[in-house]
Amino acid sequence: MRNAALWLDRKFGLEEHTIAHYAWLIVAIAGIVQMVGAAIRMAFGVLIDPLVEAFGWTPGSIGLAYALMSIITALASPLAGYLGNRYGARKTMTVGTILFFTGMMWTSQTKEIWELYVAYGIVLGISQALLLVPVVPAVAAWFRRHLGLGTGIMMVSWSLGPALVVQTLAVLFATVGWSQAFMVVGTVGTVVLLIILLFFRNTPEEAGRSAYGTKSSDNPLVTSGNVYVKTQKEFQRFVYKTNAFWNLINIHFLGCVGHAVILVGIIPLGISKGLGPLTAAGVLTTVSIVSMATRFLAPVLSEKISAKAVMFIAFFGQGVGVLLLFTADSTLDFYIFAVVWAIPYGGEGTVFPVLIRKYYGYTPMGTTYGWQLLGAGLGMALGGVIPGMVFDITGGYSWAIGLSGAFSLAGAVSIILLENTHKQLIPNWPEMEEQPGNPAPIKQQIETSPVSGD
Amino acid sequence: MKVTTPVQPVDNSPPNLEGFEIKGRPFLGFGLLMTTLIGTLAVLIYFGAWVSSDRIENRASAAGIPESQAEGEWWEEGLVFACPLH
Repeated sequence: MRNAALWLDRKFGLEEHTIAHYAWLIVAIAGIVQMVGAAIRMAFGVLIDPLVEAFGWTPGSIGLAYALMSIITALASPLAGYLGNRYGARKTMTVGTILFFTGMMWTSQTKEIWELYVAYGIVLGISQALLLVPVVPAVAAWFRRHLGLGTGIMMVSWSLGPALVVQTLAVLFATVGWSQAFMVVGTVGTVVLLIILLFFRNTPEEAGRSAYGTKSSDNPLVTSGNVYVKTQKEFQRFVYKTNAFWNLINIHFLGCVGHAVILVGIIPLGISKGLGPLTAAGVLTTVSIVSMATRFLAPVLSEKISAKAVMFIAFFGQGVGVLLLFTADSTLDFYIFAVVWAIPYGGEGTVFPVLIRKYYGYTPMGTTYGWQLLGAGLGMALGGVIPGMVFDITGGYSWAIGLSGAFSLAGAVSIILLENTHKQLIPNWPEMEEQPGNPAPIKQQIETSPVSGD
Repeated sequence: MKVTTPVQPVDNSPPNLEGFEIKGRPFLGFGLLMTTLIGTLAVLIYFGAWVSSDRIENRASAAGIPESQAEGEWWEEGLVFACPLH
């Protein structure tokens, strides 16, 4: 395998980069974890009708389980991030996998509505947080440099996962029914997760390897032991005192409200303007496909150019792009919107890990990222209810479109107010002594210095 | 690249930060977050009150009574009360 990767390196003339690195396996594992985690969320859309048919519950009462799951996932995110930092992403994700199996099996056997709330809303909600939050900081730990590239490749699974999962679930629901479908997805997902987690390592040091982009002059970072735990606590205290920490939660919230309104409302909006259900669904699929490109490119560019600028353009584009929907009333208009809007939308949520690295260096980012996902999760939950609520009141979607734009543009303004990314906001994370047998950290540079980058 | 796993420090001394401190408070970041929170609540109250007054109005016209005499649910009345525009 390694020989094949080295052969590819030579074939492509790679010098600074290499395919023969364990970090890429970690990125691939992270992508699969994100796809399985996304299955929890995506399963819901196809679950409503079968449950209405089987038990006679109202779509509203079933929808409450989704809202509960979104809120529980959001609230559990900071804790999931902390657990990932403290006990390692592998252990945290293993617990998440056990909860995933429990939740999927329980949901498949649901007979009462309260069971759906507990199994899907609470158990799978916590599972989703434990699977999705620690994995991104763990990938970051594997990249000493070029984090944007690693993040970009991983984030493509955000688009790819839902597309694959929804199709698979739709086929399973049609062939074996909803209950069996949940059992099949739960079992297959659990087996896949347990197998890939066997190959997962929290840090390069744990695997006896160096992080991607490590130069010969770099000392290894402190990644375990008492000093690691103490320093983490101390550094996290610094992180809480920076404006960026709070503002990034705010920005993630605003961005997620902005696009959740569109992702949830675009199909009913299209249908209300005369598009057929399949054509309207195609608009959403187009958004997923086009956004893949910027999910990859945005973190890469943010590392090369300016993370703040890339993020601002994404938020601004997402906010202004929705204006196209005010005049869209034909299939062509909707597909033009899908392409134009998907470009900034794809780049909106994927720059955060790079920005955290710029501000806080190699400090483990689990807790910080977890707090940001709290904002994101609440934003997604709120954005998801806005289109339906607005339609019930006004009989149209104009207010929802306006609100989506306003939230995204408020996010763009907040990005302008973020700190400059040229200087780290807290001290450098400690590195190890070079001499063997002397483990005390030596490179505790107190002066904040530019982040070592490309 | 395969490397020798470094021995991680296990001593009990606190991190040596040589007096690094962040003296200021994150007023801007926290203030922006709070502004968003309050703004979002205001939007929700406005739309919630709009829904509530519509529901009360519909019930009143269905019963053939004036709106002021129609009874709302606790949450409907709460939202209408909280919204200065309804």
